[in-house]
Amino acid sequence: MRVAYFSPMPPESSGIADYSALLLPALRERLDVHVVKRGTKRPPRGTDLAVYHIGNNPDGHGWILDAMRRQPGAVVLHDFVLHHLVAGVTIGRRDGHGYLDAMEREHGVVGRLLAHGVLDKRLPPLWEARPEEFPLAGEVLSLATGLVVHSRYVADRARAARFDGPIAHVPHPAWPDPGVEPAAIAGDPLIGAFGNVNQSKRVPQLLEAFARVRAEHPGARLLLVGATSPGFDLERRLQRLGLGGDGIVREGYVDERRLWELMAACHVHVSLRSPTMGETSGTAIRALTLGKPLVVSDVGWFAELPDGVALRVAVGDDEVSDLAAALRLLAERPDARASMGAAARALATTEHDLRRVADLQASAFERIAGGGAVADDVVRDVSEAAGEVGIAPGSPEASEIARRLAEVDLGG
Amino acid sequence: MRIAVLRPQVPFARGGAEIFTDELVAELRARGHEADLVSVPFKWYPGARVLTQAFLWRMLDLEESDGRPIDVVVATKFPSYVVRHREKRVWLVHQFRQAYELDGTELGQFGGSPEERALRRQVQELDRRALGEATRLFATSANVAGRLERSTGLVAEVLPHPPQALPYRSSPSQGFVLSASRLDRAKRIDLLLEAATREPALEVVIASDGPDRERLEEIARARRLDGRVRFEGRVDAEQLAQLYATCSSVYYAPVDEDFGMGPFEAFLSGKPVITTTDAGGPLDVVSDRETGLVVRPDAAEIGGAATWLREHEEEAAAFGMAGKALADEVTWDRAIERLFS
Repeated sequence: MRVAYFSPMPPESSGIADYSALLLPALRERLDVHVVKRGTKRPPRGTDLAVYHIGNNPDGHGWILDAMRRQPGAVVLHDFVLHHLVAGVTIGRRDGHGYLDAMEREHGVVGRLLAHGVLDKRLPPLWEARPEEFPLAGEVLSLATGLVVHSRYVADRARAARFDGPIAHVPHPAWPDPGVEPAAIAGDPLIGAFGNVNQSKRVPQLLEAFARVRAEHPGARLLLVGATSPGFDLERRLQRLGLGGDGIVREGYVDERRLWELMAACHVHVSLRSPTMGETSGTAIRALTLGKPLVVSDVGWFAELPDGVALRVAVGDDEVSDLAAALRLLAERPDARASMGAAARALATTEHDLRRVADLQASAFERIAGGGAVADDVVRDVSEAAGEVGIAPGSPEASEIARRLAEVDLGG
Repeated sequence: MRIAVLRPQVPFARGGAEIFTDELVAELRARGHEADLVSVPFKWYPGARVLTQAFLWRMLDLEESDGRPIDVVVATKFPSYVVRHREKRVWLVHQFRQAYELDGTELGQFGGSPEERALRRQVQELDRRALGEATRLFATSANVAGRLERSTGLVAEVLPHPPQALPYRSSPSQGFVLSASRLDRAKRIDLLLEAATREPALEVVIASDGPDRERLEEIARARRLDGRVRFEGRVDAEQLAQLYATCSSVYYAPVDEDFGMGPFEAFLSGKPVITTTDAGGPLDVVSDRETGLVVRPDAAEIGGAATWLREHEEEAAAFGMAGKALADEVTWDRAIERLFS
C-alpha cells in the first residue's frame, strides 16, 4: 500500500521531525512510504493513503494543514490543542476573518466575540493564555478519515469532540539506547528537567519543590536544560528561593548527543506539564530508554504512564508539596530509583518498542485506508442474508445482528 | 459437565484438527461428560467472506441447548472462537494463518490493495477481541502460543494433545519413508519427491489425500518415480498403523506448522522423524539426533537424512524409542485435567 507521508523532517528542529526520523525506517519495512517535500500541496499520483502529521506549531504544520484541506486523509494527531496552529494559518497569514470563523464554528458566538477581542488586542492571545479551553481541533477532525493518537487522553477528547471515524492508539516509539557516556555533572541525586524553561513546564513549582528538598539534601542538584522562554525570569526566581549557588546546573538548547549525555547523568527525570496540549514528551520517552525514574504531572499522556515507572503529581494547590515529597522519596530511596528505572526500561522495550509501534501504525493506516470498504462488504453480506430469511431492518433480530457485529468490530 | 467442542468444518476436508476434535469428544464422553461436537462450515474466500463466515459463530446461542445449560465450550481453531459463551475455553489449534505469517508468501491470501490489507487487519482485530474473551487460553504447541503472543499480545498455556488413536506397534523396518500428512502445499510433500529423485534407492509411501494430490502425482510422473513413490490415498486405521510400524522413518516437514500429530504418531510406532529447521511446532518434540533428524528444507539434505536412517537401523530405533518416551507423556487424562482445571 502506497502512503504519502506529510511531516516535518530533520533538519527541522521539532519533536515530530525527530519522531518521524525514528519511525520511518521501520514503517518502510511494512508499507510503501513516500515522504513528500515540505510545501507539497497534494499527494502524488497512485497514493492509497495520505498521512498528515499534525501538531500545534504553525511553522511546522501549516503547510500540512493546507494539503489536508485539498485531500483529506489519515491524521497522526500529536497534539489535541491546535489553537496555535489555527491562529498561525489565519491571523499569521493576515486572515483575521478565518480566525473569527474558526472560533465561531467551534465555540459559537462567544467564541467569535473572544476572537474579536484578540484581534482588537483587548484580550491576550488565547493560544497563549487559555488554549486548552479553545482547542480548535474541529477542522482537522472533520478532514481526518482516521486518527492515530499516542494516548487514550487524546482518543477520548477526539471522541468527545464527536469524531466518529477509526481511532488507533499507537504509542510513541522509544529510541534505542545510544550508549553515551554520562556527562560529568555531580549531584546526590542529580535531578533533570529538559525542555523549554517556562510556566507550562511548571518550572516555578519545580524550583520551589527542589528548594525544599535541597534544604534537607544539600548534595541534591537540579539540571535545567533548554531555552528560557521570553518573559520567564529564571534568575530572579532562583535568587528568591536561595538557589543561586551550585544547586542549579543550567544548560540552554543542546544538540541530540549532548542531550543524551545530560539525560544519562541524571538520577531522576522530571517532566511536568500544565496545561497539556495532549502531547507526548519525547524527552520522557528518552528517559524510559535510559531506565530513569520519572516524576510527571498527572495530566494527559503523562498520567497514563504506569505506576511503577513514574510518580504522578496532581496540578493544583498541593502541587509543590506533592512534588517535593516525590523528589524527597527518590532522593532518599536509591532502591526505588533502581526498580522504577528497571520498569521504565522494560516499558521502552515492550509498549514503546520501535518494531511493535511500526506494526501498530501500519495496521492503523491499512485499516483507515480500506476498513470502510471491508465493513461495508461485511454488513452488506450479512444484511442480504438476514433479509432473505425475512429479518426486516429495525426488527429486534436485526438489532441483535447489529449488536453482535459491533461486539467484534465488524460494523453494525 | 455439558461440554460443546467447537470445530469449523471445510466440507469434504479432513485433517489433524478434525481428528483431534473427534477424539476430544470421545475422550470427554469416556470420562462421563456429556460432550458433543458443534460444527459450522467454513469458507474463507472471496473478499470479506472470511469475516462473514466467521461471524456465523457469533450468532450461535450456545448458552444452553434443549432447555439445559451448556457449561463449557471448547473452541479450537479460527473462527470457532468467535462464539459467545460465559465459559469459553480455547484450545487453539491455529489462527487464520493467511492473515499472519503466511501473508506475503505464496501461501498467503491477501493482496496489496488497501481493501485487502484492511481485510487482513480486520481478521487480526477479530482474533484479538474473540480470543481476548476466553476464560482460559491454551495452545497446542509452543509455536502456536508464540505466534499468538506476537500477533495479539495474548498469552496461552502450551497444552499438546495426543495423536489419533491407532493400534500403534513397532515392527522391523521395510526401508521406506512414510508421509501421512494431508496433501496440501504447506506440508511440502514435493520436497520429499525431489529428495526421492536425488536418492535412487529411496522408497516413499504417501498415505493421505488432499487438494495437492494431483500436482504431486504429476511431479512423481514427471520425475519417473513410479514404483518408488506410492500414493495410497487415505487409508484406514489398521493400514496406517501398519505403515507406521514398518517404515524406516516418517517425513514431516510442513512450513512453520502449528503442532502436527505426525511426530507423535511416528514416535508411538517407535520410528524417528525427519523434519526441517523451519517446521515450527514439530521442533517442540523432534530434536536432531535425539528423536529424529532435523535438516534444512532442502531436497538433498532430506534425501540424505532418509538414506542415513534407513542404513543406520540401530540409531533410527534409538531415536524412535526416545520419541516414544516423549509421546507416552502426552495423554488425554493429563490434557483433559488441565483443560478443565
